[in-house]
Amino acid sequence: MNNELSTFNSEKVTNKLRSILSEHKGMVLDESILSKIDVICGNIEAELKKEGIETAMLFKDAEQSKKLKNFEERRQQERRKNDNITDVIGIGLCLLDKELKIIWANKTICNWLDLKESPIGSCCHDIYHCSEVGTKNCPAMNVFQGGSGRIIETWITTKEKRRMCVQHVATPITDERGDINNVLMLTIDATESEKIVHRLLLLQKLGEAMQGTLHLDKLLHLILTCVTSGYAFGFNRAMLFLINKEHDVLNGKLAVGPSSPEEANQIWQDISSKYTSLKDILDELDHSYNIDTPFNTMTKLMVFSLSDGREVVASCVRKKKPIIVKDAANDPRVTEEFRNTLGANQFVCVPLITKDEPKGVIVADNIYTGEPITEDLVNTLTMFAGQAALAIENAETYKRLADKMNQLTETQHKLIRSEKLAIIGSMASHVAHEIRNPLVNIGGFAKSLSRFKFTDQKIKANIDIILDEVKRLEIILNNITDFSKPPIPEKINVQICEIMENTCTLMENYLQERYVNLYKEFEPDIPQVLTDPTQIKQVFLNILMNAVESMPNGGDLTVKITTVNKSIKIDIIDTGKGMTKDALKNIFEPFFTTKPHGTGVGMAVSLKIIEDHGGNINAESEWGKGTTMSLTLPTN
Amino acid sequence: MTTILLVEDDKNQRLLYEQELRLEGYEIVTAADGKEGLGKVQEQPPDMIIMDINIPKMNGIETMGMILSKYKNIPIIINTAYSSYKDNFMSWAADAYIVKSSDLTELKNKIKEILTKKAKDLKQRQPH
Ligand SMILES: Nc1ncnc2c1ncn2[C@@H]1O[C@H](COP(=O)(O)OP(=O)(O)OP(=O)(O)O)[C@@H](O)[C@H]1O
Ligand SMILES: [Mg+2]
Repeated sequence: MNNELSTFNSEKVTNKLRSILSEHKGMVLDESILSKIDVICGNIEAELKKEGIETAMLFKDAEQSKKLKNFEERRQQERRKNDNITDVIGIGLCLLDKELKIIWANKTICNWLDLKESPIGSCCHDIYHCSEVGTKNCPAMNVFQGGSGRIIETWITTKEKRRMCVQHVATPITDERGDINNVLMLTIDATESEKIVHRLLLLQKLGEAMQGTLHLDKLLHLILTCVTSGYAFGFNRAMLFLINKEHDVLNGKLAVGPSSPEEANQIWQDISSKYTSLKDILDELDHSYNIDTPFNTMTKLMVFSLSDGREVVASCVRKKKPIIVKDAANDPRVTEEFRNTLGANQFVCVPLITKDEPKGVIVADNIYTGEPITEDLVNTLTMFAGQAALAIENAETYKRLADKMNQLTETQHKLIRSEKLAIIGSMASHVAHEIRNPLVNIGGFAKSLSRFKFTDQKIKANIDIILDEVKRLEIILNNITDFSKPPIPEKINVQICEIMENTCTLMENYLQERYVNLYKEFEPDIPQVLTDPTQIKQVFLNILMNAVESMPNGGDLTVKITTVNKSIKIDIIDTGKGMTKDALKNIFEPFFTTKPHGTGVGMAVSLKIIEDHGGNINAESEWGKGTTMSLTLPTN
Repeated sequence: MTTILLVEDDKNQRLLYEQELRLEGYEIVTAADGKEGLGKVQEQPPDMIIMDINIPKMNGIETMGMILSKYKNIPIIINTAYSSYKDNFMSWAADAYIVKSSDLTELKNKIKEILTKKAKDLKQRQPH
């Protein structure tokens, strides 16, 4: 459909021209030929009108026919003024010889291609910036060889800095013998038809792409890229605001477009090479949706209250209708603040609506080119906004679902862990009790032996070793049985700092022995919390012990207590050997240990206790650097 | 001399406690299970009973219940590997509850403490 529409009129023009020109075999561009062409062009125009091209979307609305009238007048003036009538039919003409050298070109093409010097004598690809030269796609060559040639859709920037979509059609010019000596290159402005066709096509394709995009940020960028892409709506800039129901405001989310005229020029210089198809747009999106431009940053900082609703974006959302502002300076709907931030005198606001519910608004303008915003364009944009809103809703729903899923997995992990704890607990307690009896015997008898006098001192030393080992085993057993059956916490209001202070005092000697320097940083006025002091002390001891054990050659141990939001945060920072990523993942697993004499229950018990208090433990560690254990306890 | 009945199914442990408590100057009578223990009490009521709870042929608490119902004045110390029995309200009837350990100091201290208390009570009740 694309081709059919956009080449509809050019085909006819070409055929007419070709038939007339081929009557003038020999081809000398003299006055008579030019005047002949003049007649032809007149005929073509009449023909075009007669065929009712207006109905074929190109010249659909009133605006366009007005333009056409202006066009007509201008044409007549210019025709009188300027002998070269070929310039006014709005077709670029350029005659090539067999070497693809230009022997003649009309003004239109020179203007369109923004040529500074006469193109006569240049090669065609130099002025057209054509990359097909020498390939089998070269339209001129194809025509010389008896085939046909055309290049559909090239974007150019004209002398007037207008972005324009053109088609090049090569037409053979034959001499008396029927040999092709020249090729006439016709360049046809297909911008309008291109735009409309592509807009519709894109709407459909983008609709599909959008509904398939569940990543909200990416989706928003896709939407605004469509609004600004010359290939689609072609606005200079676009911003997107979404409603935040909780605060009843519109939040600026994203803006796309150049931040200054210089940037705009820069971008449009290579616009034709940048986005050449929908696929390009989508590909580009994958790595560019996190754009960092002043315009985007500014937009993200914008917030408008919905309840006061004086702002034009707010009333657009409330009325659920697009608003075109033609003269912002004198439009009472636009506040000064908005006008100043936006900086454009003409812009359009289109609401994003799904199921009759506003979701947000798109604001678009042509601040750099000053191109007027037509109602027709706004209508299409409104249609597009409908699709966009639906896609946004999908993405939001998806995000909510994903959050819920994450929550669920986390709860599940917790469940599994406590289940594991329970099983390990009952198993452990059974084993522990079975072991305790023989242990009592070993230790007890060893002790009774130690009362005897031995002549060999070695016997005494060996008995002491047995006693030490038994004691160690018994401590492990106590740990396990405590762990398998943690008592119900007896909570009272206590000062966390005091508990920590006590624990540190308890460890004073031990720290000195190990050359560990202790630094205490307690924030003043830490509130009391409802906790079981014995249990919390046990936790502090476990964690401080671990920290000291990680610093066999001494180091610094910092204990920080602060309030964060409604919680107390206790950081225990060591400069010890740290943990590998693997170890870090497992420290809360019961019986995980990397120590030759460790039981591996310290952290598991600590986490259980802290969770029973409604808090949490977060461990950060770097291998070879040290470890930070952060405990949080809610204050109420 | 103060007689203590030790009800304990573990043979080696019986031997250990016997040795250790004898050194403290007590007369020790032993029993390997609940039934035997009850028999020994009926034969000659001891000044104190130390028992495990997890003993075969009548479990400890059951035995304890029977002894208590007939000989209200004999103090009982539960000495066991199972700390969980601490929560069983029947065990509250015991005069002390000790978790077994190779270090017998706690047990020895408890015995002394209870015996002193008993002696005091007896003195108070004796008419002059
Ligand atoms: N501050 C720390 N620095 C380095 N590793 C640590 C630190 N804290 C914990 N770990 C690692 O986590 C493991 C588990 O710690 P946890 O306290 O649970 O058991 P443990 O210290 O090995 O034995 P125990 O039950 O005697 O405390 C340790 O073996 C150690 O590898
Ligand atoms: Mg530890």
